[in-house]
Amino acid sequence: MASILDKLKNMFGPGGETDPSAQTVADKPVVADSRQEIAPTFESNPEPTPAPVSPPPMEELAPTPMMRTVIQAPLVSDAAELPESDEILIRAQPSPTGDQCVFRINRPLFPGHSWFFKDFESAEGSPLAEVIFTHDEVETLLVHEQSFTITRYDKNNFEWEKFAKEIGITVRETLQEGGPALKESIIRDMPGEEQIRTDIQKVIDLEVNPGVAGHGGQITLTGIQGNTVNIQMGGGCQGCSSADLTLKIGIHNAFRKAVPFVGAIYDETDHASGLNPYFS
Amino acid sequence: MPKLTRFKVTIDTGDVGTDEPVCFNINSHKVPFEDLKGSAQAGQTFEGGFEVNSFAHSLTLVGPETGQWNIKKLKVDLDLEGVEPYSVTFGEVTLDETNEVNIWRDPPVPTFDV
Repeated sequence: MASILDKLKNMFGPGGETDPSAQTVADKPVVADSRQEIAPTFESNPEPTPAPVSPPPMEELAPTPMMRTVIQAPLVSDAAELPESDEILIRAQPSPTGDQCVFRINRPLFPGHSWFFKDFESAEGSPLAEVIFTHDEVETLLVHEQSFTITRYDKNNFEWEKFAKEIGITVRETLQEGGPALKESIIRDMPGEEQIRTDIQKVIDLEVNPGVAGHGGQITLTGIQGNTVNIQMGGGCQGCSSADLTLKIGIHNAFRKAVPFVGAIYDETDHASGLNPYFS
Repeated sequence: MPKLTRFKVTIDTGDVGTDEPVCFNINSHKVPFEDLKGSAQAGQTFEGGFEVNSFAHSLTLVGPETGQWNIKKLKVDLDLEGVEPYSVTFGEVTLDETNEVNIWRDPPVPTFDV
């Protein structure tokens, strides 16, 4: 034991204690040497000419982050989907704003097409529409494939459950009688898709887009299926808080006035995505 | 938009998978998933989740930095404060370094049979 203590005393010299940090530095000769090499250079030349700084090679620069595009995947599940059944099933879904209610049925009502009934008089000859308009509260009716959508006169009444059950009873009774839900002359007189597309595009170019251009907006026709129109709202219209109002008051009226055979009009715009939505 | 407590994804990969860590983007912050199970390689199923406890203004699944990732099916279980937990299932989508897919859906609007 004594010899070990003696050896340690000899190693650390007469002072007996050595700064451990100094020992650590000594254990890293490369670093210590490089410091020693640099120091004399500055001493011999106190005002060295700064070496020209060359930019790092391009491959060493961090890549600029790429702006990714947000895409939408198709939605597979839908809580409003109805199961297959021999019975007539009707499922009601009021809109979040409460201004309208969609009714989905497990029966085709108007396959491949849609039709808008603006009032009681327009329902004449269409059994489904006639029975729905017997309810005084109903303002408008839109029938599309296996669903129909109702708006009411009273825009402040957001309670739909009681009224929707009454609608469900009368609609079920009508469908159980069999026969077409809407009058057959609607389909017979309907112009072709191309004609509707041409007419709608004309309204967009001459009336709608010049109107929304003042707000930096732009409406694009994205598709026609039968007489159903799909549009996208771009520019200042995308994400705008007034987009729904523009669609329901301005665009719907303009389309229906110029092209009376237009059925449903859907806005396909994702108002929450994009690079610069008005509200996101 | 309600407060997002936590969410979980279950991703079925199609023909083209990825070896990269699977990340999501919340309010423009890229974050790797936690509680991982499985993998995102071709034909495999990946599961991951995250305790958010904050308000999500945007929620996306980020594509790989290199190559493509073919997703056959994507299920998202969302748990929001004050809302019944709900699930959303998306169909096929292919991601790469240029894109990210939106995995947020508002809580379903209540329906009732009449």
